[in-house]
Amino acid sequence: MTDVRIVGAGMTDFGVHDRPLAELFADAAVDALDDAACAPADIDAFYLGNAMSGQTDGDTHLAPTLASHLGMAGIPCTRFEDACATSSNAFSHAVRAVAAGQYDTVLVGGVERCTPATGLGTDEMTAVFASAAHRQYEQPTGLTFPGVFGLLTTRHMHEYGTTEEQLAAVAVKNHRHGTLNPRAQFGTETTVAEVLEGPVVASPFRLLDCCPFSDGAAAVVVTREDAVDDPESAPRVAGIGHATDAVPLATKADLTATQSARDAAAAAYAEADIQPADVDVAEVHDCFTGAEILAIEALGFVDTGEGGHAAVEGTTALGGEIPVNPSGGLKAKGHPIGATGVAQLVELTDQLRGEAGERQVPDARYALAHNLGGDAATTLVTVLDGGVSA
Amino acid sequence: MSDDPYSHAAWVDALRDGVLLGGRCRECGWTSATPQAACLECATRDLEPTTLPLEGTLHTETTVAVSPTGFDAPYRVGIVDLGATRLLCRLEGDAAIGDPVAFAGTLETADGEVAPLFTDADQSP
Repeated sequence: MTDVRIVGAGMTDFGVHDRPLAELFADAAVDALDDAACAPADIDAFYLGNAMSGQTDGDTHLAPTLASHLGMAGIPCTRFEDACATSSNAFSHAVRAVAAGQYDTVLVGGVERCTPATGLGTDEMTAVFASAAHRQYEQPTGLTFPGVFGLLTTRHMHEYGTTEEQLAAVAVKNHRHGTLNPRAQFGTETTVAEVLEGPVVASPFRLLDCCPFSDGAAAVVVTREDAVDDPESAPRVAGIGHATDAVPLATKADLTATQSARDAAAAAYAEADIQPADVDVAEVHDCFTGAEILAIEALGFVDTGEGGHAAVEGTTALGGEIPVNPSGGLKAKGHPIGATGVAQLVELTDQLRGEAGERQVPDARYALAHNLGGDAATTLVTVLDGGVSA
Repeated sequence: MSDDPYSHAAWVDALRDGVLLGGRCRECGWTSATPQAACLECATRDLEPTTLPLEGTLHTETTVAVSPTGFDAPYRVGIVDLGATRLLCRLEGDAAIGDPVAFAGTLETADGEVAPLFTDADQSP
């Protein structure tokens, strides 16, 4: 198996984009291809993440459509759907295919439209998101995705004493980070008081505990180690873990563990041959403030039950012990479902290249992405190594 | 009524009859509150339908204030601990985590799906 590196990265601003999916994706893909100095003819295969275009845009069989728009018709094109973990799964398969020698250079990306620009209102889009919950044993209760994470977080608050103020501190931190990211949907700071005054979406989450509805796209180009001219600007994929947990939610053994994240992290750390303490910067799946608390515990950045203290004490802020979501995370950068996983990797590529501007984590070598899908049923954890020698 | 005693159709029929139909693994004893083709613990396909208790304790809950199309918020959704297993349900009443709750019937959605409804144990019919 050969090592695989990210040689190009690009993404759109996250926010409202009233444009066809192909045009939106092309903006990210062209940036990634140009960054990699690749022509479309250099790309051997295309791996696409998109979760919901059939429901949001009436548009399926998307991968060859997007490839054709980019002048790449003819190559194998594959679409992945794993709810919010969609494009990190596409990335994982792309990396494995290159590592196995099946392809030399692959384009991986994700695109999604979730804002009212789709013509769907809040209740309709909430129903689209809820379709990732169990059709027979979750959806009929009216469970929403804020509700899914509300169930997990309410239990965490009961078991460990996590407070609404601690949840709000995650939003405050990630909004602050988002002000440093020109691609973020939210570019303004917030306060604990403002978060706690917001309307409830699904308890314990108020409006500012929740990521926004977003449109956007992200793309990376990966290639085999021996084809890389400039390894300093091409982070190595050091490890990927992909694990699942039981569906429906009620059958999970432990509702606060996010076990799929623990299992995926263990696999990614083992492959990368690192420990949690070796991670210099992380992008984690903070679809709701409580989700970041569960994630940093599952990843081993803090002890189980202690996640609520991290944002309050600054542990996970830029300048802290382990900066989490320097991009602003899903919370402030935005969360176009199928684009999110690859967008995390775009941010981490910028970080490892030292190109993250005001939100740069100094001297970062190991960067970790945690991308969770569905009712905590799928998690992919990816470790990138920005060091030149593997 | 479905011929399969441990299908979604059988589960819905049982729910409407006031019965919580679960499945118990004959190999390891693992119990599910919703139909499975195989055991989640040991993967054996030898699951026997079992009748679950109609009372349990509330394991966690959320109040949904922004609902999907077809639902009228606000309402509560909870996970009930039935001893051998847990079940997701619609929740009426004020029960907090750890409080006793009891099965109180079904909720039917506009598209014909059925969900179990639980309420505070001392207010059940």
